[in-house]
Amino acid sequence: MKVSYNWLNDFVDLKGISPKEIAEKLTSAGLEVEEMSYMNEHLHDVYVSKITKIEKHPEADRLQVCSVDVGFKKVQIITSATNVFEGAIVPVSLEGADLVNGVKIKPTNFRGVKSDGMFCSGEEIGIDENYFEGAGINGILILPEDFVPGTKIEDALSLNDVTFDINVTPNRPDCNSVVGIARELCAIYNKPFKDFDVSYKTVGGDVKNYVDVKIETENCPRYMAAYIKNIKLERSPMWLRSRLHAVGIKTINTMVDITNYILVEQGQPMHAFDYKYLDGKKIVARQAKKGEKIAVLNGQTYDLDESVMVIADQNKPVVIAGVIGGVNSCISDNTTDTVFECAVFDLKSVRLTAKKFGLSTDSSARYSKGVNINLPTLALKRALHLVDVLGCGEIVGGLIDKINSDKKLEEEKKVVVSYNKISKILGVEISKEKMVQILNALNIRTTISGDVMTCIPPYIREDIKNANDIAEEIIRIYGYDVYNDMQGRLFENSTITVGQYEPRLVFENGLKNILVDSGFYETLNYSLYNASACDKLLLHEDDSRRNVIKIANPINEDMATARTVMAHALLLDVAYNLSVGNKDLRFFEVGKVYLPKSLPLKELPVENNRLSIAVCENGYDFFMLKGVVENLLLGTSLKCKLERSKEPYLHSGVSADIISEDGTVVGWFGKVHKTVLKNYDINQDVYYAELDTDYLSGLPEKKYATKEISKFPVVERDIAVVVDESVSNEALMNAIKSACGKIFYDVQLFDVYRSATLGENKKSMAYKILFMSEDKTLTGDEINVVIKKLLKSLEFRYGAKLRA
Amino acid sequence: MKQKLEEILQNGLKEIDSANDLKVLDEIRVKYLGKTGQLTQILRGMKDVPAEDRREVGSLANSVRQKLEEKLSEKLAALENAQLELEMEKEKIDITEPSKGVKRGALHPLTRFNNKFIDLCVEMGFTVIQTPEIETDYHNFEALNVPKNHPARDMQDSFYITDNILMRTHTSPAQVRAMETMKPPFKIVCPGRVYRNDDDSSHSPIFNQFEALVIDENIGLQDFMIMVREMAVRLYGKNVKMRVRPAYFPFTEPSIEIDATCQMCQGKGCTLCKGTGYSEFFGGGIVNPAILEMSGIDSNKYSGFAFGPGIDRSVMVTNKIPNIKYLFRNDLRFLKQMR
Repeated sequence: MKVSYNWLNDFVDLKGISPKEIAEKLTSAGLEVEEMSYMNEHLHDVYVSKITKIEKHPEADRLQVCSVDVGFKKVQIITSATNVFEGAIVPVSLEGADLVNGVKIKPTNFRGVKSDGMFCSGEEIGIDENYFEGAGINGILILPEDFVPGTKIEDALSLNDVTFDINVTPNRPDCNSVVGIARELCAIYNKPFKDFDVSYKTVGGDVKNYVDVKIETENCPRYMAAYIKNIKLERSPMWLRSRLHAVGIKTINTMVDITNYILVEQGQPMHAFDYKYLDGKKIVARQAKKGEKIAVLNGQTYDLDESVMVIADQNKPVVIAGVIGGVNSCISDNTTDTVFECAVFDLKSVRLTAKKFGLSTDSSARYSKGVNINLPTLALKRALHLVDVLGCGEIVGGLIDKINSDKKLEEEKKVVVSYNKISKILGVEISKEKMVQILNALNIRTTISGDVMTCIPPYIREDIKNANDIAEEIIRIYGYDVYNDMQGRLFENSTITVGQYEPRLVFENGLKNILVDSGFYETLNYSLYNASACDKLLLHEDDSRRNVIKIANPINEDMATARTVMAHALLLDVAYNLSVGNKDLRFFEVGKVYLPKSLPLKELPVENNRLSIAVCENGYDFFMLKGVVENLLLGTSLKCKLERSKEPYLHSGVSADIISEDGTVVGWFGKVHKTVLKNYDINQDVYYAELDTDYLSGLPEKKYATKEISKFPVVERDIAVVVDESVSNEALMNAIKSACGKIFYDVQLFDVYRSATLGENKKSMAYKILFMSEDKTLTGDEINVVIKKLLKSLEFRYGAKLRA
Repeated sequence: MKQKLEEILQNGLKEIDSANDLKVLDEIRVKYLGKTGQLTQILRGMKDVPAEDRREVGSLANSVRQKLEEKLSEKLAALENAQLELEMEKEKIDITEPSKGVKRGALHPLTRFNNKFIDLCVEMGFTVIQTPEIETDYHNFEALNVPKNHPARDMQDSFYITDNILMRTHTSPAQVRAMETMKPPFKIVCPGRVYRNDDDSSHSPIFNQFEALVIDENIGLQDFMIMVREMAVRLYGKNVKMRVRPAYFPFTEPSIEIDATCQMCQGKGCTLCKGTGYSEFFGGGIVNPAILEMSGIDSNKYSGFAFGPGIDRSVMVTNKIPNIKYLFRNDLRFLKQMR
């Protein structure tokens, strides 16, 4: 919302208060001034001047030497402009001027003749033809003859205002107007509000004889209209143009300028129709019919339907209500009579329509924030007052005021609150008198009796409903600085509560720390991705992870889907890092996948938390990754087995699924499939692992039960057996364990050897077996007996031969 | 005889003293104490000593032997020690060569900040909760006083999935879920990801917030401020300064925005804080009674405050991260700096 200093000054006396201070005060009262601009910023050292004499430059045909009267001094200006003449009143910029186009003025020598400055065009002063006649021409701005040389140009052209651009929060639609902001300043400075004039003269007659208004949609709570005859479309007076110029609105002609003036000053959008184009002399607020079309002022034609509210005459839509006017009924040079619309439209309807057509106008923006049903009453009169003052038409007597049958005007509501409650909410001491004074200054009429405060907010302050709202009004004017650096006893007035961590987060942190100690770096990836990830990862056609949740309004395809697979992100990370020359990559991520129960989404999906790991490092292998996974699972009570993995993006022979006792696939790990690597432009092996942290953190805590330590020493024996490749280590170890019986303590595979001598498809497995007895020192003979037995067993079950 | 023993002692001691390697020392031992050594010979010749002197000479000879043996072992230890020193000198290595074995990785700076913040919340009596990222429109907006088509929705561009389900735009639905399921008094905090349809150089469409809610009897704005200051002190140190500005959130009333000393420049003013010396810390305020009522909490009895810091910026300033996009880029050259 843009407002100007001079405009505010109409409603609150700002004499002696600097614009900078106003900006600060408004900001600290909750109306953040995002930008403040001085219209005269680039107009210093520019004056009204009179050309007294023009001579040809002795050395240059195209230059003229002008003697110029700047009131307080005489100067000489060299110009190449052709539209200047002796006696012309023109703007002149002198030494020190710093024009809006970046030109800095200093005395210059033109082929031996001195120039003290430069004449200015309208553009160089920052104005256009709409603002001032002659400002649009390609040449020097010729000013009216009655302008006095020596006057500062900013004063002569009313360019001495200051504009505030204010970020008005959605709870304060009333502040989208000059009067709303002025009210705030009244409270801040404890000054009276200067009421605005709404009086006007009519030429008699009755508006109802000219136009008939009907409301046929619930989206139009109120429609007011007035009728003006014999309008004169002229350039608005300078003061009005200056106001609109200050807030960045183009001036057009008196009628259009008045509607814009009311929009900014009162916060009430208006529209002016050309009466002669209203078929049947009717105005109907209704929803459009399918098939209707309208050509509007931005040059576009839109197809309408029932979702769009329009203002129509007897036959056709003439305005997209609250958004933009149609070309078929707008004010033009041959308009003689006009109907002023001053209506309230439902904010939702206007928002949806503006969104539907991708249109944002000053009017739609204002309606989208909510226009109070009472607002048109004064706004329309204020507009007619301006018509009267500007003498730009004959106002017919009476006003049309239709209120939708299910709506009524807001009445002032009492908000009764307790002083103690307010004090408790704020927690700082503010006297009753101060509170009452602040509220009254905000036009919230307040009385206090004992602890009871009775507050009557103006109808326009629909946001004030309870004690908290009143408390906020008080503190924002009183000043929030009381809380700066506030110190005191923590939770002095509250109940003790015992803090608790979230079990899954704690569990995941444990895993993260193990990984960090193992050389891994934590990454963060977007949880939205491109659904083509499923193809890149070779997911089968019927893989349930292809049922993805799609974002209806994505930024781009790469963030159009809630991810169902973790691997994609880390593979992208690996590819990116390799591409920038980073090596030895050990990454992990803790994140979510989003698994719909059904599609389209009817209920919230399952958000499954997972840990994913990727390694891309020379010399890394499956078993190193297996060690990492084992370490991660060590602290859990998980009992699991490994099976060949079914993950399509892993190497089928070098990967494993981790299956828990209840059959759940808790995770998987292994080498990434060659084709997948190619899909990600990775030309090095990558090892990948993933764990379901929801499942794992939900397991019961791991219980420890330690046994007594034997008094007798551990005895060690090594054996190596030759078996077929198909015999697994696990099978051999289990066989060794069961053959050893009671004295078994531990077995470790310490070497695997393959060679031509062993034969094709054969391998030698070397084990270190540890024996221990609870009740005696084991002798060599006893061990030998056991070894013999176990070799027999291995040979019998797996065809294992002792390696010579 | 006595004189000869004295001579042996003096010569022996002198020779031992001047021995400078183990071999020479052993020769000296043999010369005096070996089978044919000078002292051994004397001891062997004791039988020739007159009986009356034998006792005296014997004791003297033993004493000489003892002294020589002591001296020898002393010297031996010294020489061995010298030799070890010599060997160690030879084995000297370049201690600036790199370490071996697995090098530690690093947590993401966001995780570190999260953990620190969660710790201090738990210490203050907050319970950590987690609520869905894919949320209902009701929990994300309506129950927070933002009905459909409310202008406040303009402040948060949402990623919609269906008309009623969206990626949460803030962690505030955690407030609603807590109020629905927990009995006051309680304090909760919910860290998590949030999503906005907004992507430019200073915004990421996915970022991180905390939501915290305190519901109790007798809660006021000053309780909020005192707590926030305590949090700032624990995160940024005790010299932190705080500044309060008015703000608007549909679910708190009054609402405030709290700035803390910019950690990038320590309050000196920099491009990040636009020269103000302060950067945004927390936003929040007193819970709007309408919200309490909507979630079934008696607003006459209970009040509370809620706040929701966006933490990416705090992570940035506390780690002097030059670009917010680094947080999701996962470049090893960045991550390595977090070790």
